[in-house]
Amino acid sequence: MPTFFLSRLLSALFVLFGVTCLVFLLLHLVPGDPVEVMLGESAQPADREALRQALGLDRPLLVQFLDYFERLLRGDLGVSLHSQRPIVDLILERFPATLELALAALVVAVVIAFPLGVLAAVRKDTPWDYSAMSVSLFGVSMPNFWLGPVLILIFSVWLGWLPVSGRDEPTSIILPAITLGTALAAVLSRMVRAALLEVLGEDFVRTARAKGLSERRVIWRHALRNALLPVVTILGLQLGVLLGGAVITEIVFSWPGLGQLTIEAIQTRDYPVVQACVLLISVGYVLVNTLTDLVYAWLDPRVRLGEGG
Amino acid sequence: MRYLIALVLCCLLAACSQPATDVLRFGLSSAPVTLDPRYATDATSARINRLLYDQLVDFDAAVQPAPALAEWRLITPTHYRFLLRPARFHDGTPLTAHDVLATYEFILEPSNASPHRGSLTLIERIEVIDAATVDFHLRVADALFPGKLVIGILPATLIAKAHPFNQHPLGSGAFAFMAWPESGRLQIRRLSDGQEVEFLLVKDPTVRILKLLRGELDLTQNDLPPELIRYAAVQPDLQVQTGKGSNFTYLGFNMEDVVVGDLALRRAIAHALDREAIIRYVLGGAARPASALLPPDHWAGALPDGYQHDPARARALLREVGYDETHHPHIVYKTSSDPFRIRLATIIQQQLAEVGIDVELRTYDWGTFYGDIKAGRFQMYSLSWVGIKTPDIFKYVFHSSSLPPAGANRGRYVSATADSLIEAADAAPTLAEQAEYYHELQAYLLEALPYVPLWYEDHVAVTRRGVSGYVLAPDGNYDGLNTVRYETMANTP
Repeated sequence: MPTFFLSRLLSALFVLFGVTCLVFLLLHLVPGDPVEVMLGESAQPADREALRQALGLDRPLLVQFLDYFERLLRGDLGVSLHSQRPIVDLILERFPATLELALAALVVAVVIAFPLGVLAAVRKDTPWDYSAMSVSLFGVSMPNFWLGPVLILIFSVWLGWLPVSGRDEPTSIILPAITLGTALAAVLSRMVRAALLEVLGEDFVRTARAKGLSERRVIWRHALRNALLPVVTILGLQLGVLLGGAVITEIVFSWPGLGQLTIEAIQTRDYPVVQACVLLISVGYVLVNTLTDLVYAWLDPRVRLGEGG
Repeated sequence: MRYLIALVLCCLLAACSQPATDVLRFGLSSAPVTLDPRYATDATSARINRLLYDQLVDFDAAVQPAPALAEWRLITPTHYRFLLRPARFHDGTPLTAHDVLATYEFILEPSNASPHRGSLTLIERIEVIDAATVDFHLRVADALFPGKLVIGILPATLIAKAHPFNQHPLGSGAFAFMAWPESGRLQIRRLSDGQEVEFLLVKDPTVRILKLLRGELDLTQNDLPPELIRYAAVQPDLQVQTGKGSNFTYLGFNMEDVVVGDLALRRAIAHALDREAIIRYVLGGAARPASALLPPDHWAGALPDGYQHDPARARALLREVGYDETHHPHIVYKTSSDPFRIRLATIIQQQLAEVGIDVELRTYDWGTFYGDIKAGRFQMYSLSWVGIKTPDIFKYVFHSSSLPPAGANRGRYVSATADSLIEAADAAPTLAEQAEYYHELQAYLLEALPYVPLWYEDHVAVTRRGVSGYVLAPDGNYDGLNTVRYETMANTP
């Protein structure tokens, strides 16, 4: 187990280093110059050069990268080129909102997906199954930029139940969470259905039924528990997707999270902020992936053996 | 589970009734970047800074420089004297000539990297005569100089202490800063009557209108597609107000390109475009056709006869330069990825196709698009000039010495006639004499067509019932907040 743990950790660090290099390089290769954005076109060439020097952008790319990487290792994400504020502060301001939204969307997805998936599996090839899977198909097909305004129109403008956008009231999170969680719910319900159908054909389910347990008990206590492992794994990974993929939802609902910060930073070529945001999202992904691998290895020793062999 | 449902229902019921508020909430499509006028370049920051800080000079209805914080006298062509009116910063300290000196010296110091330094380098030195009098000595005479002193004045004592004005502004304007708890939420207070205004970032235009309907916003201005404006106009709780704008939209060309460098082809394009139809059906009438960079209501503006929609004439011009039914000109047209700009570009593509000009549309994110335009990597593009006040824009855009990076002559337009007219206007001692040269220049540019002028887009404000007295400015600033009146209403839909 320690060898496996070490190899996973090294692999995670390697991925993070790769992401850091890639983001740094890509950002510096795309057209657009932060100095131009900051000074405007009317700036004197000498002023542009002075600012470029002050920001360290005149140095060779490799030197800039090494400097950035060294600061990163010290936990220094740098300063925003535009607001001149420490990036750590900017991220600490925004990250709680994004995490809150991602977790709420996850809850929404679970609350919708499990009953829907179980219903579809238990009533396989009946109108219930078809309806549940149609709802799921509808959910996965709806883009967030459309679903969001439609939900606002219905629940905020027509019914007046919920705020349109922002993060001022406790209820503000309901519509963004539903918007973000719907697609995940759709995918998850299909996974629950498939996993449950597989388990329902297993011997232990037949045994449970033969022992005279109620169908409800068989499904919820025995079958679903065993079907959960792959679903929960995917759920964990999806948290990473939700953290990084909330951009559109954040914009539609004026949710002051990392997504908005990233978009603004990309538009203004605020390199350090974009790098920090992408790195944070990548760290989230890698962490969740590594944890999932470790938990899997702990639960199932065959995974460790496979890795060793 | 039952408890969870009960909790959700309680929250929903609590949310149904929103308290009425006295704060006027203004929906923005982009958040201000900095509240330090020495560094602000984005339109939102500049518009909000106008409310927080006083500036020496402003502009009148004809966009002529007009006294704001100061009146001025021309002592010699290179020596201006500014006489300050009494004013106080929001912390109670008086605003003096020393504050003016400190503000402009800070901008002129190269190591401070202010983006406004470039427009002020003609200042040789600034001299404080007394607490209410400050002199500006110039390196060269410039009749437009007062119009360049539009930066908000900051307290000298705080400049010396490197006060973070970008986050905690302190000016002497009509509004005082209250709080900026997050990038998309800024609160200010009108000093005359205590009316509070909250700027809220709502990027999505549909959501902005829905928030107005729901009573979560009271006012929003511009950045709304025409269909949303039409929708807002028929809502009983909303009011739509439009005002003439000066933002100039145009088609630009790379004059070094073999295809679009041909004057006959550019004239064919100008005749092929049905701008009236685009304005009526796509822009919802919220624009006026342009035939020059400056609008006719500008003191140096002109209204030369523009190109009429004449497809037959366009086809004839194309035939004259060797194009026919089997041999069409092919042009790559670059635009930003903004959906509305893409829609306009698609219509232009269709109108040009009708006369036999093949247009290949390429859309890019703003940074890439703008980078390409500045680098001259284009055949044809469309863009707008926003907030143009002084006619020295012509030098910046059309003079042969202004090829990037020296200026914004992105189309690499080189014309001895245009250069001499620009230089003559620049050297003219009075604005009236300058205006004559600029009129002549604009007529000439319409003949030479380095740009095909399209339109000046109107400004649009959508307000809730209960909001009155908001006046739209031609440059789209938020000065209407100085006069807006707001009657609190129950914000139930």
